[in-house]
Amino acid sequence: MEGEATTLRRLGAELWASRSLIAMLARKDFFVRYRRASFGLLWAVGLPVFQAAVLAVVFSQVVRIETGPPYVVFLFAAYVPWSYFSLTLGAAATAIVDNSGLASKIYFPRAALPLTTVLTNLYGSAVTLAVLLGLTVAYGVGIGPAVVLLVPAVALLVMLTGSMSLLASATHVYFRDVRYVTQAAMTVWFYVTPVLYPLDRVPGGIAPLVKLNPMTGVVELFRAATVGADPGWLPTVAVSVAWSLACLAGALVLHRRYDRVFADLL
Amino acid sequence: MTAAFAVRLTDAGKRYTKYDDNPLLVSSLRHVRAGSRRSTLWAVRNVDLEIPPGECFGVIGRNGSGKSTLLQMLAGVTAPTEGRVQVRGRVAPLISVGVGFHSELTGRENVYLNGTILGLSRAELDRLFDDIVDFAGVERFIDTPVKFYSSGMVVRLGFAVAIQAQPDVLVVDEVLAVGDFAFQLKCFERMTAIRDAGTTIVVVTHNLNAVRRLCERTLLLHDGVVQHLGDTTEALSRYHALLDTPEEPEDETAPLGASVGSDAVTIESTDLRLQGRSTRALDAGDVAEVEVRARFHDTTAEPIFGFALRNEARVPVYYDDTTLLAVDKVEGGRVLTCRMRVPANLVTGSYTITAMVRSGFDGPELTHSTPLSFYVAGRPIVHGIVDLHASFEVTEEPGLP
Repeated sequence: MEGEATTLRRLGAELWASRSLIAMLARKDFFVRYRRASFGLLWAVGLPVFQAAVLAVVFSQVVRIETGPPYVVFLFAAYVPWSYFSLTLGAAATAIVDNSGLASKIYFPRAALPLTTVLTNLYGSAVTLAVLLGLTVAYGVGIGPAVVLLVPAVALLVMLTGSMSLLASATHVYFRDVRYVTQAAMTVWFYVTPVLYPLDRVPGGIAPLVKLNPMTGVVELFRAATVGADPGWLPTVAVSVAWSLACLAGALVLHRRYDRVFADLL
Repeated sequence: MTAAFAVRLTDAGKRYTKYDDNPLLVSSLRHVRAGSRRSTLWAVRNVDLEIPPGECFGVIGRNGSGKSTLLQMLAGVTAPTEGRVQVRGRVAPLISVGVGFHSELTGRENVYLNGTILGLSRAELDRLFDDIVDFAGVERFIDTPVKFYSSGMVVRLGFAVAIQAQPDVLVVDEVLAVGDFAFQLKCFERMTAIRDAGTTIVVVTHNLNAVRRLCERTLLLHDGVVQHLGDTTEALSRYHALLDTPEEPEDETAPLGASVGSDAVTIESTDLRLQGRSTRALDAGDVAEVEVRARFHDTTAEPIFGFALRNEARVPVYYDDTTLLAVDKVEGGRVLTCRMRVPANLVTGSYTITAMVRSGFDGPELTHSTPLSFYVAGRPIVHGIVDLHASFEVTEEPGLP
């Protein structure tokens, strides 16, 4: 070890070597979270389903948003990726700091910690995704050949969430405000993402914001795979891919530079 | 291919930046613009060190001497600011045992988790599992959540994972101080065994006995600077000399063992010698010489030199003085030197010796020196406060059983 920065090649090799550690930590986090609860793993599905149900009732009965497919399925198709994204980014931002007990005692690439959160929450989302598919059948939308789009949809979701998590977790070590900034951002972010409404029903004022939102493309890709995409969705996917790559590049720069000295500030 | 070294530090140093109390984004941006107003501190610097495979190496020093930083660099937790730190092979830091133990998980789950953190594969863990549980002695509780374990059991399990992991370099912190006597003995045995099997061990500790028993060479750090690198006894000796310097040196010109508070007499120096050489480490049975020089400002009747020996627990072990030597008086302005020759019939440990001057057999104490610290490497087996050098005889009585 010489100097504080790591080479990208070395960082990559260390991360690859840590893959079983990441899997192990993720499994531990996931099961420990529900171990002491009487309903156990049911909460992993129950909570997002419940939240989506409340939103569905409010926005179909009270506010009345008209959509082609049944509103419940329309909403849930977008809520699955959104809840994964917001939960994961919120937790991953503090991952390095929260695990300081581990990180200040033994070396492994610190990127493993936010990536663990990314993987942990994926377990729960796999189940909610199954619920989504069940709902599409139950509401008569059916499952078409477009369902294969779920593969790139999940890939894009994980890539975007992962690279933003890496970026946020590294920044949070130096600026502990990041946690609150993330929380605050999520409140706004939810409303500029077409979860509750279709993409083509965005009022002119916030339209550019919605179209440049990295999550819009992800959400639309999930809709395309299940209930059918909103008109004008393809460019938003390109925007999401661009965001993922930009965040990944930024995250790599930060982790390359600070991986070996994060511990100094823990 | 055998590696020439297991651990190598080349002019390694670590600088920490002390941030101000105000971590606000606004103020940190202002600092960036106004040129950094952060202060920096070298925790360790200019460390050159090479440890061959299979050596047990000690690192000692007072609190804040840079031991922990050195250890973190060895464990790869933090990178050196300057120089190079090279460690060959897998490092298992025992910086605090049971790192990553989760209280809700069972002992079994924690062994696998902890082992994975240390870099073991699932297959290796399957193979080592029984040995780990056996060494820790927690068979009956292996499927119980760790939160129901006693703290001793947690430590034993953590130590067992690290030591059975057969790392190339084992970095041991204060952990040797935990666990009961039987377990400590087991750890010593096991550490000696893996050292003989080729594992390099770096022991960073205040436990001088552990260092003496395990390490051939020892590094003494003080204020981040290497004070000594080599022979362990010499390192222990110098460490005890450092113990006598106050943490916050007020008057650096005052020599060691000088007197505190007196008008009539001043103790100018106190020294511990072995065969004429100044030292701070003795072997049991060595005949040491304590030399005190006292300047008498006033004419003093019946000057008497006394010596008080205390052990680590501050228990008085021995007191003796020159009453029977009967010096009538000493003129003002004269210097008297007193040498006490005494066999170090002591057990392993750190001791202090304080010299004092009285006037008359039952007169008042005029002055005493600051305590002088030294280390005694006792005979093995012997326990207690003093080593009485007993001799034994075992005979069998004649006749039928």
